[in-house]
Amino acid sequence: MVDYYLITEDSIDITEALTMIDDPATGAQAIFLGTVRDEYEGRKSLGLYYDAYPTMAQTHLKKIGEAMKQEFAISHVVIIHRIGELPVGAASVLVAVSAAHREAAFAAAKAGIDRVKSEVPIWKKEHWADGSSEWHDHPDHSGNVE
Amino acid sequence: MTNNGITVLFFSFAADRMNAREKIYELPEPLSIQEFFQQYLSTGLREPLESWLFSVNEEWVDPQYNLRPGDALAVVPPVSGG
Repeated sequence: MVDYYLITEDSIDITEALTMIDDPATGAQAIFLGTVRDEYEGRKSLGLYYDAYPTMAQTHLKKIGEAMKQEFAISHVVIIHRIGELPVGAASVLVAVSAAHREAAFAAAKAGIDRVKSEVPIWKKEHWADGSSEWHDHPDHSGNVE
Repeated sequence: MTNNGITVLFFSFAADRMNAREKIYELPEPLSIQEFFQQYLSTGLREPLESWLFSVNEEWVDPQYNLRPGDALAVVPPVSGG
């Protein structure tokens, strides 16, 4: 029954996250898990490298979690973002929420991941199947990142 | 670092362009981020001031912020996590 925010190079432990948000007073747990895709905009990818400003990013995760608790009727929040080299299929980000009811849990988890993707100082580099690499935020990158 | 030094942190493609994740700059005179950027960073970063966000000591600041000795300035590209 805790709130927990972490930037880590280690694998995300989903079971541990669910244990942290567990609370007998809640009847709903919503979990969003972001994973590394094998393509981006139709181009084959082997994986991602995540760079971060770790201390500031972790502070931001906490701010987002605290805002979620203000805005939604939820009990506990865990947000974890993994950084470093991640292969296709690996979990890169987790947002887990417990609440009395499912509506608040779903809504809070969605708001949380949306804010993580747009506000936290983390950057990803695509490792294309042809051997080249490209930062998603690079000015020459053609597509906008969701 | 001497008395007038600031630490500047670079991430993502900015670190690639600067060939460093961290550099220390000695400032002979007090400068705002905007002034510091034009004098010391714009050539290496090759993107205009408007392309970046800035934080000092992990708090977001405007380019008008006046840098102080010991500050840790982060040059932050648009974020792309998730």
